[in-house]
Amino acid sequence: MDEYINRGRRRFLTVTTSAVGGVGIIATTVPFFQSWLPSASARATEAPVTQSLKKIEPGQQLITTWRNLPIFIVNRTPKQLAALPGQNPRLVDPDSKNTSAHQQPAYAQNGTRSIKPQWLILIGLCTHVNCVPTYKGQMKPEPFDPAWQGGYYCPCHRSRYDLAGRVYKDVPAPKNMQVPPYHFVDDTTVQIGVGPKDKA
Amino acid sequence: MIALSLALMLNSALSLSKTTAVLPTTGRHPLEQTALRHGARMFFHYCVACHSLKYMRYSRIARDLKLSRQQVMTHLNLTGGRFNDPVISSMPAALATKAFGKVPPDLSLEIRAKGAVWAYNYLNTFYLDPKSPIGWNNTVLPNTTMPFPLWELQGEQVAVVGKDGHQVQKLEIKQLGTMKPAQYRQATRDLIDFLTYVSDPAALQRRRYGIWVMLFLVLFTFLAWLLKKEYWKDIH
Amino acid sequence: MTSRWRHWLEERLPGLTRMIRRHVTAYYAPKNFNLWYYFGSLALLVLLNQLVTGSFLAMNYKPGIATAFDSVQYIMRDVNWGWLIRTMHTTGASLLFVIIFLHTFRSIMYGSFKKPRELVWLLGMLLFVVVMAEAFTGYVLPWGTMSFWATRVVVALFATIPVIGPHLAEWIMGGSLPADATLNRFFALHVIMLPLLLLFLVVLHLTALHEVGSNNPDGVEIRCGPKGNRWGKHYPADGIPFHPYYTLKDLVGVGVFLLVAAYIVFFAPSFDGWFLERNNAVMADPLLTPAHIRPVWYFSAFYAMVRMMPSFAGTAVWGPIAMSGSIALLFALPWIDVGPVKSIRYRGTGYKVALGIFVLAFVGLMLIGSNLTDVLFPWLFGANINLTKWTMIFGRTMMLAYFGFFVFLGLYTHLGWEKTRPVPERVRARG
Repeated sequence: MDEYINRGRRRFLTVTTSAVGGVGIIATTVPFFQSWLPSASARATEAPVTQSLKKIEPGQQLITTWRNLPIFIVNRTPKQLAALPGQNPRLVDPDSKNTSAHQQPAYAQNGTRSIKPQWLILIGLCTHVNCVPTYKGQMKPEPFDPAWQGGYYCPCHRSRYDLAGRVYKDVPAPKNMQVPPYHFVDDTTVQIGVGPKDKA
Repeated sequence: MIALSLALMLNSALSLSKTTAVLPTTGRHPLEQTALRHGARMFFHYCVACHSLKYMRYSRIARDLKLSRQQVMTHLNLTGGRFNDPVISSMPAALATKAFGKVPPDLSLEIRAKGAVWAYNYLNTFYLDPKSPIGWNNTVLPNTTMPFPLWELQGEQVAVVGKDGHQVQKLEIKQLGTMKPAQYRQATRDLIDFLTYVSDPAALQRRRYGIWVMLFLVLFTFLAWLLKKEYWKDIH
Repeated sequence: MTSRWRHWLEERLPGLTRMIRRHVTAYYAPKNFNLWYYFGSLALLVLLNQLVTGSFLAMNYKPGIATAFDSVQYIMRDVNWGWLIRTMHTTGASLLFVIIFLHTFRSIMYGSFKKPRELVWLLGMLLFVVVMAEAFTGYVLPWGTMSFWATRVVVALFATIPVIGPHLAEWIMGGSLPADATLNRFFALHVIMLPLLLLFLVVLHLTALHEVGSNNPDGVEIRCGPKGNRWGKHYPADGIPFHPYYTLKDLVGVGVFLLVAAYIVFFAPSFDGWFLERNNAVMADPLLTPAHIRPVWYFSAFYAMVRMMPSFAGTAVWGPIAMSGSIALLFALPWIDVGPVKSIRYRGTGYKVALGIFVLAFVGLMLIGSNLTDVLFPWLFGANINLTKWTMIFGRTMMLAYFGFFVFLGLYTHLGWEKTRPVPERVRARG
């Protein structure tokens, strides 16, 4: 309608200003989104946890926490250990080589899923939807399994694991329970959160 | 805005007039890394025995002052705290109350509350006072209950009093310490710089981001102004 | 694509397009707005900033006298970007008052409060009061020494009211001292009730404004002439659509404002103790009043009035009366100043002088309230000046000038003493 209007210039300036303004607005939202990331005090709780093993009787489980997660420590008896290989045919990934390849540090990727066979150390969360499974250590028939050889039973959706935290077939949970990084400070003390090679 | 900057000037005048000395201004950036590290060493050598920094984590000091975890844990952290813990003095509160009549204040926010000039002057105006139960007095905080922890460095200052026998006219160094006066002033300045950083650790990042934000806004405002001018050609 | 989408929305929500037209694209504003007209949109921008940053602060703040102070330091040190979010909030609070003071002054100066815009003015004043309540409740939350003593002092103002005062004070605090109950209710007020009220009032303020149209520096209405303007025959000849002309102009204002705000946020967040006060870096201690107590700068003029009023007949109620009176008189301004001419440009000399004195009086009271006269007077008149006496004399003169402005204005306009200059038919061209 008016000849003095330079439409090209108007469009160029509109697009440029909008783009620069848009970048500004997006950049401004970044700090707000990032403010939801763990704070320095939340990160401070991620420090390694040292736990004495002295008071755990054979066949018993102790629950501690690391990063606010439940940590299961089980003193497995020779009898319990002996029953582990026999479970292999009923398990999803008995050697933790396939679907559960990343569920433990390399030093615990073995038949007992541990550094020392006697000591089982697990993050106590069901790999289905993160409920805390119940310890059913006794090797006796259970309502959910007449041939039970000890292990974990998750009350939420009835997933079952053996005494190495390996998941059984035909349950909702897909993977073996996770083994945290840990190392032995001495024979009766374990530190969770730091692997044997990473320790300072 | 003019009223505010006037107010700002007056406020600075107010804080200066109340003190006896002026913070030496060298040309350097107020929170320069070398000075901060030196200040941190001063703090952990002379102050942490009594004073905590309960809002300051060792890990944050390491990150901001570009020190390694090991440097912090072996050279600075002498109280046995963990790397992610805040700096807590090892002195039990009960013992402190017995020795000084009160718990020595936490210094996390001291500079925010009192100002760097005040704190600097405080550390520079201790003098021997036989009448004081701790043997020391201070012109900035008369009858202070804090023994002078830096006396080895500064030496012993005495007060020259006026005719009335009370009013302190000036302070003179009677016995030199391990540092020359200029060295001592610089050392206390570094210590105050460190505490200034501790009272507002974000200041280090803030200035870095600020430059870019300002530059961006200049660009945006310029573009907006061009656009506005273009459209306002319509209006006669 | 866009038109189909718009059509879909239009069918289901016919009012939306109408509303956008009415308030933005076809709202015709006078074409001669000057610098003073930036502050309305800037106030809205800062309000938005306060809402967003405030929400994120509320995610990390813990009300309660044992946790509040620590949680603020947690925000400043441990939360990612917490320092930025909090500093944006505190800087925004102070700048909102700068903006509101200038916005209100603009309205007085150009007669924007006069008929037919009295309701816009009343809603604006109500907004001012709610913003003050918002600022006060927010000031208490960090639970520093100043937070505590500000609460004590402000509640004590209510306590001076005869008969019900003491009960009122106890009711406000939920006890005889500011404590957990006080902090928790102030938090709820600060983050829920007052912001909702604020938003509601902003909507009313703008709706009322758009009903009668904006005033302008010439103070004459932009009536619909026989020819209309280039956008339509029925539109005011000197009006231009708010969008794109004023949206773009305001965008430039926003840019300049953000530069100032960013400078403060990134380089001077405490503004040398004026925006974030030194004493508030010390946790509240009910047993210790700080030696140098002063209110935060935007309350200092009103605080000075309380300080300048002596107790009389055994009560201290006169200070609070003066303080609330100073704001009540502003509410009544449209009925005090009934001069027919709106803009200062065409008003009598008496008015111009009076307004100048009024501004000086307000600034003078601010100087007293923020203790700046304690430095200023010795500097100007020598160290031996009797500070208490001269501050009193100066302060009471300033108060007299403040209240005198309203008395003068009432007489001046009601009795027809004002000699105005001829008002132009239409707004003068820009520039």
